[in-house]
Amino acid sequence: MTAQTLSEKLPTTPPTAPRASDRWWHRLLDRRFLPVAGTVATLILLLVGGQLRYSTDDRSFISMRLFSNLFIDNSYLLVLAIGMTFVIISGGIDLSVGGVVALVGLVIAKLLENGAPLPFVLVVGVLVGTTMGALIGVMVQYFRIQPFIASLAGLFLARGLANLLGKTAIAIKDEGFASLASWKLKFGERPDIWYINLSMIIAFVVLLIAVYLLHYTRFGRTVYGLGSGDGGQAAGLMGLKPGATKMWVYVISGTCAGIGGLLFAFYTKSGYNLSGVGMELDAIASVVIGGAVLTGGAGFVLGTFAGVSVYGLILVICNREGLEIWWNRILIGAILLGFVLLQRVLVARRR
Amino acid sequence: MSGDGTATSWIRTVSRHHLFWPVVALVALWIACGIVSPGFLDIKLVDGHLFGQLVDIARNSVTYMLLALGMCLVIATGGIDLSVGAVMAIALSVSLTYIDGAANGESVSTALTAIALGLAAAAVVGAFNGFLVAGLGIQPFIATMIILVAGRGIALAFTGGQITTTHSAPFKSIGSGFVLGIPTPLVIGGVVFTLVALLVRRTALGMLLESIGINRTASQMAGVRSRNITWLVYVLCGLLAGLAGLVYGAPTMAADANNIGQLMELNAIMAVVIGGTKLDGGKFSLAGTIVGALILTTLDRAVIIFHLPSESKDLFKAIVVIAICIAGSERLRGQLGLRRVPQVPGPPTSPNKPVEVAA
Repeated sequence: MTAQTLSEKLPTTPPTAPRASDRWWHRLLDRRFLPVAGTVATLILLLVGGQLRYSTDDRSFISMRLFSNLFIDNSYLLVLAIGMTFVIISGGIDLSVGGVVALVGLVIAKLLENGAPLPFVLVVGVLVGTTMGALIGVMVQYFRIQPFIASLAGLFLARGLANLLGKTAIAIKDEGFASLASWKLKFGERPDIWYINLSMIIAFVVLLIAVYLLHYTRFGRTVYGLGSGDGGQAAGLMGLKPGATKMWVYVISGTCAGIGGLLFAFYTKSGYNLSGVGMELDAIASVVIGGAVLTGGAGFVLGTFAGVSVYGLILVICNREGLEIWWNRILIGAILLGFVLLQRVLVARRR
Repeated sequence: MSGDGTATSWIRTVSRHHLFWPVVALVALWIACGIVSPGFLDIKLVDGHLFGQLVDIARNSVTYMLLALGMCLVIATGGIDLSVGAVMAIALSVSLTYIDGAANGESVSTALTAIALGLAAAAVVGAFNGFLVAGLGIQPFIATMIILVAGRGIALAFTGGQITTTHSAPFKSIGSGFVLGIPTPLVIGGVVFTLVALLVRRTALGMLLESIGINRTASQMAGVRSRNITWLVYVLCGLLAGLAGLVYGAPTMAADANNIGQLMELNAIMAVVIGGTKLDGGKFSLAGTIVGALILTTLDRAVIIFHLPSESKDLFKAIVVIAICIAGSERLRGQLGLRRVPQVPGPPTSPNKPVEVAA
């Protein structure tokens, strides 16, 4: 590994090198991939269980139809969870996203009602989220307020503004918006027709951008550095910019919340000040189920993708089982507990 | 406080007291309300019962107060309890479901059993939180989030997904009755506050809590049984949250598990923060927490008095919290020359850390 070993025993390098990388892989497996392995195992368990239980002779549970429905119903959550992934890996938290979703939905509904042009409305909707994120970022980075409290204030602010905009659900009747919301590509034959709609495409584009940002850029490295337990000091010493990054993380989360609000408006075709209550918890739960460690420093965007899938599948299975709605929350709480315990074991082993 | 004699030093002592700004804010709010709505500050005695806006505010603040007292103790240990809103719903659901199923809901013994069951359920949830935090060493924020996610589901499972409404005069009286002319919630709040204050300030418990909040490892090494104490604090917080749920839900006698206590964890934390307790732990003010709870309730009422849309109170609260946090932030104080800021670029670090790195 080091220059010293290489120069001293040059002939023996080939046999030692693979062993060293072996150990490296072991460590990697322990630290970073194990929670995600748990996620994938849960996902497979749910899929196999569902397949065994719900498949009939002429229709299989695991089908493109299932996945298509899963992401039509959860595309907004996926986008929210992706934004949350950045924040959580940086060691922070963003509790404002549910409020931002409601605010963005109402802003879009109100603007369209007053005849604003559609492209303008869509951009403004997302920018509302960005602004909220920037506000929280300033509070966290510049004023050193705990992320948890700063984003809490953001939540109240977003909900308060949404309440001022309107207290009843406003249906969005704009034709352009409706056609965007219902646009979809049809695949397959009856009875296995499945669709790809605009929300899914947007969510997957966000996913790809997030993978690139977090895993292939200097910015992404800094996000991990921020969450590594020293408040980004090591990252700072390496010449990265932890301060600005900390701010940007919240801007990203806010922007994702803005996009999520837009997708939620597509999904419900309305704006309502009480929508998105508790949605921040769903997003956090998805991220944690997806293997990101809540103390920061570890996690993957694709893990979050798997986490959202697990979340969606639990809802599907609860529905198929005919369980009452409250079981959703209890089950998600139980799975969350399982993953928190798993993380705890892993952290304990690392020490 | 110390009575130095000269007026300036007295003013200085008072204005430096941690309760100064919260109390000023509260009194200013009351005066503003009094100017807009002339009868606001009146307290009347009708049929031997106290009535008036201020009495109402005090009565309504009891829910916040009970929650915030428990939260304050948890925060003192450097923790946080996000589950209190859900615990409120669980406790009320358990109590009302029991009364609903009982043969004679109007009897005192049924009401007492219902209260005991509700509080027991809340204590169990608190113990679960405490087990995760103290027993397994999971971050408090994360550990209590599990109940925040699952708690309402559990409450709904008790009520069977319904909004359980029932009748029980004795149970109802804990929310809307009077004891010697004073509203019962106020009496409950007063008794609880006295008990908690005696428990933490007249025994060593308060000091031990603070020592855990400052440095858990060091306090453990110094012989503080930090694990047991932390556990106890979460049970206490759960218990108080359960009591808050009962007091809050008793006047309506309806267990709406989806909505009772919604966002209450945030209100409780806010009351604690407004009262001057820092979220980092290691220091707490019970009296400040009471003032914080009163400020929050007054804000709720002020929105109505000022004829603002009642839904704007969240906005109101947000602005207050942001203002308080920014006013209390080290950076702003540093710029105003109120307090010296350690000159460390980048994120906040303790002064010894750069030395460590350089060495």
